[in-house]
Amino acid sequence: MIAVDGLSKSFGKRREVRAVDGVTFAAADGEITGLLGPNGAGKTTLLRMLATLVVPDAGRANVAGLDVVADRRAVRRRIGVLSDARGLYPRLTARENIRYFGRLHGLAGAALERRVDTLVDALGLAAVADRPAQGYSQGERMKTAIARALVHDPDTILLDEPTNGLDIMSVRALREQLKALRAQGKCLLFSSHVMQEVAALCDRIVILGRGRVVAAGTAAELLAQSGAATLEDAFVGLLGSGEGLAA
Amino acid sequence: MHRIFTVAAKEIIDTLRDRRTMLVTLATAALAGPIFLVLIFNMMAQQSERARDLVLPVQGAEHASALIAFLEREQVKVVPAPADFEARIRAGELAVVLVVDPRFADDVKAGKAGIVRLVHDRSRDRARVSIDQAEALLRAYNAQWGRMRLLLRGVAPEVGSPLEVRTVNLATPQQSGALVLFLVAYYGLFASIMGGMAVALDTTAGERERASLEPLLTTPASTLELVTGKWLATTLFNGIVVAVTLAGFWATLSFAPLPPVGIPFLFGAKELGRFLAILLPMIALLPAILLWVGARARTYKEAQANVSVLLFVVALVPAIQLFAQRREPDWIALVPVSGQYALLNRALRGEAIPLLELAVSWAVPVGLAVLALAGVARLWSRESVLAGK
Repeated sequence: MIAVDGLSKSFGKRREVRAVDGVTFAAADGEITGLLGPNGAGKTTLLRMLATLVVPDAGRANVAGLDVVADRRAVRRRIGVLSDARGLYPRLTARENIRYFGRLHGLAGAALERRVDTLVDALGLAAVADRPAQGYSQGERMKTAIARALVHDPDTILLDEPTNGLDIMSVRALREQLKALRAQGKCLLFSSHVMQEVAALCDRIVILGRGRVVAAGTAAELLAQSGAATLEDAFVGLLGSGEGLAA
Repeated sequence: MHRIFTVAAKEIIDTLRDRRTMLVTLATAALAGPIFLVLIFNMMAQQSERARDLVLPVQGAEHASALIAFLEREQVKVVPAPADFEARIRAGELAVVLVVDPRFADDVKAGKAGIVRLVHDRSRDRARVSIDQAEALLRAYNAQWGRMRLLLRGVAPEVGSPLEVRTVNLATPQQSGALVLFLVAYYGLFASIMGGMAVALDTTAGERERASLEPLLTTPASTLELVTGKWLATTLFNGIVVAVTLAGFWATLSFAPLPPVGIPFLFGAKELGRFLAILLPMIALLPAILLWVGARARTYKEAQANVSVLLFVVALVPAIQLFAQRREPDWIALVPVSGQYALLNRALRGEAIPLLELAVSWAVPVGLAVLALAGVARLWSRESVLAGK
């Protein structure tokens, strides 16, 4: 469960860049919520505030009922984050990369090993899991990063542009993985600038433009709201044609 | 606490996997002592050989046969000087030539001082030993001759030299060979920055460059836990490199067939232990500073450029102390690098270092290390650490 209320964040010497500007939305458990917006719409900043890495200027955000500023340590235990930066340790194997994060989350011993095995199997990493990560393909790196983010079995999962740089097979595998997590009742928040991605996966969509929520709802609601015939037309109409929603 | 050890263990494994860097660092550390000692000892052996059998070209030996006889009694090999000796001295082929004035015998007979010229080029280091030796011999001959004359006239020699200078050399035998001592102390200090450098930068600037820092920051580990774990790992490697470097010096001095240069030299197991105790604050402090420098950089390359400033300081300070002839002020014991260098020198001279002084030399480095680690923790808590890669 994520509840965001009037969240704002500005950057720059005189706080002149309003990256996120009074954003309000909610993301329910057992659903995939899509954050859709063009590059620079404020998606990454918003996710970083939810991940407790950036402190909001104004507004509140709750993750699993915990405040992201006041309870940041507790929030970190409950969230799994696949951020824009998802570098691995190239000299460590996938298993070692995942295990390291598991230990930092307080897992140990047989429980940790079981969890690592489960993730390696679920993500189809078994073939490469004991080789150093420096030889991995983009897809294998992504899967390792996801396993690392999920090692402590978090209730809330934040994914920043997870399909960036992946081939179509990897994208499909990722979608299946996210659907499986939804079926387990997790709350997933998924950001993308690719409309088709969001349309194919998300139960609810929040459209961001210039740091503000432009529209929110299910795909059908967005169609009705905009009066457009297709989702693409709806997005372009809602954002204004100048934004350039590149696929 | 467990997170600190988790981070340290991961960094240790990660570093051990980087075999090439490990091997180069360890090989450099292990070979520094043997290579430098063999070079220096051979140089010194050559010099002392030159001093022992002084060959002195003399022009006009026939004018001062008593002087020549004296020199030969003193084991000097007197040879006729070549005609072009001035050019040869300039070229560095001859160290020193003695020229006896043609009127020497007449002057002496007339009761005047006989003139001899010692021709040399003092700007040449290698010639210095021969020059000093020739000068000393001539002075000794002068004194001996003067005493004889006074005695012949029934005057006590003390009348002519009312001041008798007796030099008392307080240097213990170990105090000679200052250059070798300097090298050992210098390398010990230098190793304590080289040993941790690769690890410290890889684990901070490298972490940021690989884009693995942000995921790390979303775990429940605090930035202080992260940096403390990284510091533990870096300090461990640093300690190993320093120990290997010093062991290289110790093993070379103890077992290698070095040419005998007549320097009874103390760098045994006891001195090795004292060295490590003195260098411990540096082994712990320099990784903390390296981590801080690394954390301020966005890339490994940028960090390396910034580290060169630190290297410069550590390399330069002992060199300045070597050449500064004045006695050092007391507060120098507190200054990191300087204080350690001064203590290392004392340990090499065979002095025991009182525990209190050792503790005092620890104070500032430990304080600085804590500050540096807190600085990294603060840097990583800032939002700007996420910007760029």
